[in-house]
Amino acid sequence: MLADLLQNTLDGLAAGASYAPVALGFALIFGVLRRANLSYGPAIMLGCYAAALAHGRFPGLGLGALAAIALLAAVLAGAYVERLCFAPHRRGSAVAAMVASFALWMQLEEIATLMLPRHVVAFPALYEGEPLAIAGLVLRVEALAAIATAAAVCALLAAILYRSRFGLAVRALVAAPLAAELSGIRPARVFFLVFALASAIGGTAGFLVAATDAQITPMMGLWLTFKGLLATMLGGLGSLPGAVAGALVLGLVEAHAQWFLGPQLRDFVVYLLLFSLLAAAPRWMRTPSPS
Amino acid sequence: MSAMLEVRDLVTAYGKIEALRGVSLEVQAGSITCLLGPNGAGKTTLMMTIAGILRPRAGSVRFAGREIARRPPHEIVGAGVALVPENRLVFPGMSVRENLYAGAYLRRDGEIEADLERLFERFPRLRERAGQDAGTLSGGEQQMLAVARSLMSRPKLLLMDEPSLGLAPLVVEEIFRIVADLHRDGTTIFLVEQNAHMALRVAHHFYLIEQGRITFSGDPGSLAEDEVIRRAYLGSARR
Repeated sequence: MLADLLQNTLDGLAAGASYAPVALGFALIFGVLRRANLSYGPAIMLGCYAAALAHGRFPGLGLGALAAIALLAAVLAGAYVERLCFAPHRRGSAVAAMVASFALWMQLEEIATLMLPRHVVAFPALYEGEPLAIAGLVLRVEALAAIATAAAVCALLAAILYRSRFGLAVRALVAAPLAAELSGIRPARVFFLVFALASAIGGTAGFLVAATDAQITPMMGLWLTFKGLLATMLGGLGSLPGAVAGALVLGLVEAHAQWFLGPQLRDFVVYLLLFSLLAAAPRWMRTPSPS
Repeated sequence: MSAMLEVRDLVTAYGKIEALRGVSLEVQAGSITCLLGPNGAGKTTLMMTIAGILRPRAGSVRFAGREIARRPPHEIVGAGVALVPENRLVFPGMSVRENLYAGAYLRRDGEIEADLERLFERFPRLRERAGQDAGTLSGGEQQMLAVARSLMSRPKLLLMDEPSLGLAPLVVEEIFRIVADLHRDGTTIFLVEQNAHMALRVAHHFYLIEQGRITFSGDPGSLAEDEVIRRAYLGSARR
């Protein structure tokens, strides 16, 4: 019983670690632009499809090269979404931007299906050896990679936001948009770069997920947007540390619910948690702040 | 003296409502010029148009002989015009020092640290609070920070929108002392004020704006102060 509990906790943390960068990217866009990007997951999915396509054409490409392709393609797809859905509505309606991003979601899924028509596409596996066994617990090497990546992404993002000139511009723009513009900061350019950064983070996370599963489907976009949205909401909308905490909670709750209640009730428990949070503490999702 | 800033027939509108209905004025290099007028007369609209936040529908704004109307804000800051906005608008959640670095955002020269040091000498209270969250400063300190942040861009012309708004009388005195100091050190200042009494004490030249039009221009003393104050607060229509 205790061993199960520990094993579930370990698996949950690993799953949470793989959600964390996805949630960070989603929360970064939401916190800076104050707009929900439903095409966030699909753009990452398209990046992974580009890597899968490259893998099929050039089987000699290593994991590093494929990860670079996934990241670059995700950034390009993210930039496309920003130009079409968010740049035109910078001063306008947040709902218009969200609806436009929903329309592009459908388009990105179509592109992926046209690129590789089979429903399930093979993806190179991250690791093909045996999982590690430590004190009776099973630890997958992929889980270690996810945890290390999540930690690295958090550290890198913190360094960018709190140590760089670009980070200063991002935080100034969120804190007081008019004063930032009067200081010479260009909102359109900063928003675009924030999108590119969030897409790069998402592309890395998505590649890891695809390589862990050793396959991808067009549904990956839906899956990524949902995990990012759920973790961001659990963490209080728009807060970056909150998004990471939300991702870990999401992973843990899913792992335990699946073990004790079965896979059918797993997602139900997650939504119940979100519902209880909203019902008990409606102010949980207050005005978003970036830090 | 020559005109550093020349505004000609400027029209700025929000939808169908014209907030500026053909404003013309000049700010002489090395002067303190003041714009007085009642609420809703278009003072803030004029400042925001000069700074490039609002696009004028017609007219021109020339700074040091160069047309800057319809240019984006970052180009106007880069050209040497900085606006201290109404209500101060510091960056809360960022330290005082980070606020000042943000003011130097466009600069690539190596003298940013030296300028920071000079500003800390001018505003010792900001040095004491350099690591503190700007959102926790008092109103007067926030106003000082907003002015210092604008100075970090090394402006030739400093625009100030209602710097005394909502501040205690002693703090207002201090803000106007800073305005006089900045002027003495060579900065040209164009100031919007509701506090006509204080403004007339420092200004070399002033304009009255009412309902989007300049209705009077002169030196302090060319119109009885109580008359200026009445029109600055109430507008001539309601006299």
